[in-house]
Amino acid sequence: MSQLYLRRVVALWFGAVFALVGVPLWYKLTTIYRAPLPGTYISSLRENMHSDVHLVVPVYVRSDTYKFPDVHEAIQLQADALLQSKPRAVNWSLQILQAEKNQVLDPESDYVLTLTLDDFTGYSIAYDSKETIVFFDDTAVVSNDIPFFAAQTLIEHTFGTEWTHLSLDSSDQNDQGNRGLGKSSEMAISYAPKVHLSLSLLTGDGRPVAWNIESTLNQYFTPLRQFLSPLINFTVDTSILHFNDLNLGSLHDIQDPSWQDLAHSIDLSELSSLNHYREKNAINLAIVFPSPEAGQLGFVNATEDRPWQSFMVPQWGALVVNKEALPDNSRLTQDYLAPVIYSFACELFQFLGLSNEKADLSTPYITIDSFKRVTTLKNLEHGIETMWSLIKLTDQFPQMAVPKQVLSDVEQAISLRLKAVELLNDPKRGDEATWNEALHLSNSFVEVCERAFFHKEMVQQNFFPQEHKIAVYLPFLGPIFVIILTGLLKTLRENNDDDEDEVEEKQVKISDSPADETEQLDEKTHDSSLTKE
Amino acid sequence: MRFESLCVWAFAAFAFGVGGNSIDDELIIPDETESAGSGDQTCSIFGTSASSQENIEMEQLNTSSIEENVNARTSSEIENAGIVLFENNSIVRYPFDEELTLKPLPRNFMLASFAFQMQSNNLTVGKSEVSHDAYRHYTVFPKSLSPILEYSQTRELHLRFTHGRWDAESWGQLPHNGTKSGGSGVELWAVIEAASRDEAFENWIMLTNSLSGLFCSSINFINMEKTTYPVHSFQSSDQQPIPIFDTSKKAYLLRAALANEPICTENLTPFLKLLPTRGRSGISSLLDGHKVFDSNWHSLSMDVETVCDGDTCQYHMDANIEMVFNVQNSLARAENPIPKPLGDAELQCDESKPHNAWECFPLPQSKHIKFRLSELFGKKVVGSNLISENPSKVCAQVSDSWTVYLDIGDSLFSTDDNCFAIRDNELHDLHFQSDDTAHVVKSDDVPLFVSRSLTGYGQDGGGLRAVFRNPNNVTVDAIYFESLPWYMRLYLSSLEIESEDGLEIGDVIKSTFYLPAIDRQRPTHLEFNISIPAHTTVALSYQFSKALLKYAEYPPDANHGFEIESALITVLRPIRSEMRTATLLLSLSTPDFSMPYNVIILTSTVMGLAFGTLFNLMVKKLVTVEEADRKAAAKRSIKAQLIEYLARLKTNGNKTNQEKKRQ
Repeated sequence: MSQLYLRRVVALWFGAVFALVGVPLWYKLTTIYRAPLPGTYISSLRENMHSDVHLVVPVYVRSDTYKFPDVHEAIQLQADALLQSKPRAVNWSLQILQAEKNQVLDPESDYVLTLTLDDFTGYSIAYDSKETIVFFDDTAVVSNDIPFFAAQTLIEHTFGTEWTHLSLDSSDQNDQGNRGLGKSSEMAISYAPKVHLSLSLLTGDGRPVAWNIESTLNQYFTPLRQFLSPLINFTVDTSILHFNDLNLGSLHDIQDPSWQDLAHSIDLSELSSLNHYREKNAINLAIVFPSPEAGQLGFVNATEDRPWQSFMVPQWGALVVNKEALPDNSRLTQDYLAPVIYSFACELFQFLGLSNEKADLSTPYITIDSFKRVTTLKNLEHGIETMWSLIKLTDQFPQMAVPKQVLSDVEQAISLRLKAVELLNDPKRGDEATWNEALHLSNSFVEVCERAFFHKEMVQQNFFPQEHKIAVYLPFLGPIFVIILTGLLKTLRENNDDDEDEVEEKQVKISDSPADETEQLDEKTHDSSLTKE
Repeated sequence: MRFESLCVWAFAAFAFGVGGNSIDDELIIPDETESAGSGDQTCSIFGTSASSQENIEMEQLNTSSIEENVNARTSSEIENAGIVLFENNSIVRYPFDEELTLKPLPRNFMLASFAFQMQSNNLTVGKSEVSHDAYRHYTVFPKSLSPILEYSQTRELHLRFTHGRWDAESWGQLPHNGTKSGGSGVELWAVIEAASRDEAFENWIMLTNSLSGLFCSSINFINMEKTTYPVHSFQSSDQQPIPIFDTSKKAYLLRAALANEPICTENLTPFLKLLPTRGRSGISSLLDGHKVFDSNWHSLSMDVETVCDGDTCQYHMDANIEMVFNVQNSLARAENPIPKPLGDAELQCDESKPHNAWECFPLPQSKHIKFRLSELFGKKVVGSNLISENPSKVCAQVSDSWTVYLDIGDSLFSTDDNCFAIRDNELHDLHFQSDDTAHVVKSDDVPLFVSRSLTGYGQDGGGLRAVFRNPNNVTVDAIYFESLPWYMRLYLSSLEIESEDGLEIGDVIKSTFYLPAIDRQRPTHLEFNISIPAHTTVALSYQFSKALLKYAEYPPDANHGFEIESALITVLRPIRSEMRTATLLLSLSTPDFSMPYNVIILTSTVMGLAFGTLFNLMVKKLVTVEEADRKAAAKRSIKAQLIEYLARLKTNGNKTNQEKKRQ
């Protein structure tokens, strides 16, 4: 009895060690490392996008003629009320501050609202600073309309970009789940701090051409680059390509091609491929001259001063198509190039998403500043979407490795986001440097998020199938498991068998001689025969 | 309207904002009434206002060195109220040159060599690309190549795609003395500016990856274990110093080769795209993948050098495409794309030997030949390139027994030196005629013949043997460069020399550079300075052992063997020339790749057996033999039970019979 007990204990121990130590150990040693990513935090960020953002822009009020001691409070109330009237994707408000005594306001850095007495009521936004001037007359003072005027001017005009971009459209209101910012126009490329510009002069034949591009760019384009540099830095190259008319020659005999004809014929492959830009995005300008063999392009709406027509290709760039082929040995002069570059610059704002046809850039300082804030917010949204995709991906592929580097990137991204949000929320800071820094932080946030998502090891490990592990370990684990299991079952079942054995043994001991047994048997058979009878 | 006012603002910002230093200075914006109100000022106004500034701008227009030779010419300007959109009072020319040389070789072979030269615009050295007035301009130099060179800090780039065998015994010296052709496969070397060797290697990897994408080739397979840093070989022949843009950095020479890498049409197409003519005009219009790669030997080469003159630097690029083909075969192929046996009427049999419809000894190939270039290449030259100062040129290097004509629109022309300038847009063809094809212009003598082979047998070792033969009257000084993969473990101590003239190692090898391999990190790098006396043959041989690879390091087709890149011989004296040996095919011991799994299964079985025995010993009940016997006896076996049952049936049957009888 005690021996059976001991054997059972041994078998149980083997089983227990196998199941409780061996299997977990094997599992632990053969599983891939998955860094614990803050999944819930990120999904909650995504669900309540911008919930912790409350963009506050300080605006200083000054009055030239009258002293209004409480006008900033009144404007603040009106502005808040106006902002409340429209649902917003992102919380934002203005912080109306009174210029303190002896404080010198710098309208190039801070938003300044100047109240000026005049014969009429109206407003004016400066084009070279961030100053808004509200004109009022005495009747307005009497009827106490100034705060409302001022609030309306600020919100609907000075901060018009925010007012349109950060508000929810009425059509979006039902879609409360995804309170994202509106999509930018189809024309615009996605925002990146560095953008490549590629200007090409294409001719359909091999005759030499030249252009005064260097002087034209220096004169007309350098100032634009400087002006946009806080927001976007450009790298620019120019090239002359022969024997490439983007397949426009095939359209020469069509008088009035439709958009489809044009879109289907144009072959941009050679301009788009084989380029080694470091920048993520590129905008192209292609000035195309047909070859003389192809003849003039009838569909181009050209004048004598302006023998070309400009077309925009969404997210690619502008095409300047010339009606006539170039004469021999031509050099494009600045007279030709300046309007082209100018038209391209107008289109460039659309490609960058700075304006669509509705918006105007008569107040560049304010628009660019607003654009910085909107871009910052869009960047934050974009980064969170990227991180959420990362979380979704890791959830979907449980055997995918998540390296430590990804975790540290995600952590860095979250801290960058918090820093950017802190800057945006700070009601005391609203000068140009603040918005630049917030934009800069949000750019690095997007970059870090994408670095985390596109980690090399993570994607590679996904292609290592789980079956390999089983194939390699099954020849070892299979036999051992079977041996232990059958051994254990046998010792457990041995109980009954042994009892029977022991009973039999007793019976054997009772009936000592085999003769008795036969007698008994005979008796039994005899009995049965009797009963049958 | 508002959009237009935007444009007006933008224009104003550009037009007036020149020369300012800060943002604020140049943003002189038209006064507000204009920007807000008069939106009908559209873009066309711009032209006139810009033209008022034209005089000033024209002075600033500096004729950059790229557009050479600005000749005054009668101007036919489109004058329209003072606006000049196109000027054509000067001839526009770009630094581009192309030339095709055709040279008949003995035994009906012909060498066609396409040479292209181009220069880039001036480089902006030491200026950030993001700075506001930094613009990069590309004209004839390929735009796709320039950024790669800049990002990877490459000052010199040499790329070779070569395939086939150059028959030096019969064809003589390689074209350009061998400096424009590589070993079979892909060969790449570059001079890279970097602060350290690691940085240089990083740039090198960036360069190889970019070139790989550009040329649709496997250049990205170049890694640490294929890269060497040559010491004496691969030095540029011209004595110009390599320009260093950042004086704190140094120039590093890196080199790697992919032995016997297939060269195909997809390498040629990007090559042609680099040319400003794009294969559409000039001599490059002849180039077609089918013809180039149907040749016995072909080589595509590209050399880019940075040339600085003071502060202005330019890239100079030489691109060469060379091929050797058999004229008779090419003509036959052009006539009959699918080879068919000739009909018996067309057979040219040797009449001095028995011949009938079933038996024919063919005559030797005729020495008379007459063919056109368009028959060989399948097309004619489509005009000249129009952008270059010099028209495209086609030259034939032939002996007296050949006559060459240029065919333009069915009229034939000839020149004394057999060099023809291609003009304008017309189709050009070349006629070749010869009454003795064996009589060709003698090629330069080959200074040294080299061949290399693998010796030995077996899976664990082997030897390399390089034979040098100097057929000339002067001693030849050369550098022998060899880069061997780490799995060939070289024993330099086994270096032996075989020479019929009793030369010792010291007589031939003047100095040695040897960098042993490190497994999976560095190849063996060997450079010998050798000197072979006149009219001698010398064989150098050394032994190596073959390393075992990890199973993942074998290529998919492990049984094919491993390609060993060619060795380079740079002849320094009497003339500077280069030549390469053929590549070698090394077979390594190849494992049975199912073995690891077999081993796993076998080991697991043994472990399972051992464990099972041990486990059973501890868990199963131990009984003595007697006990076991008794138990066996006690337990009625199935057999016993069956016998008993049958016995019982029998007795029962007997009983019933008896009862029946009684009844």
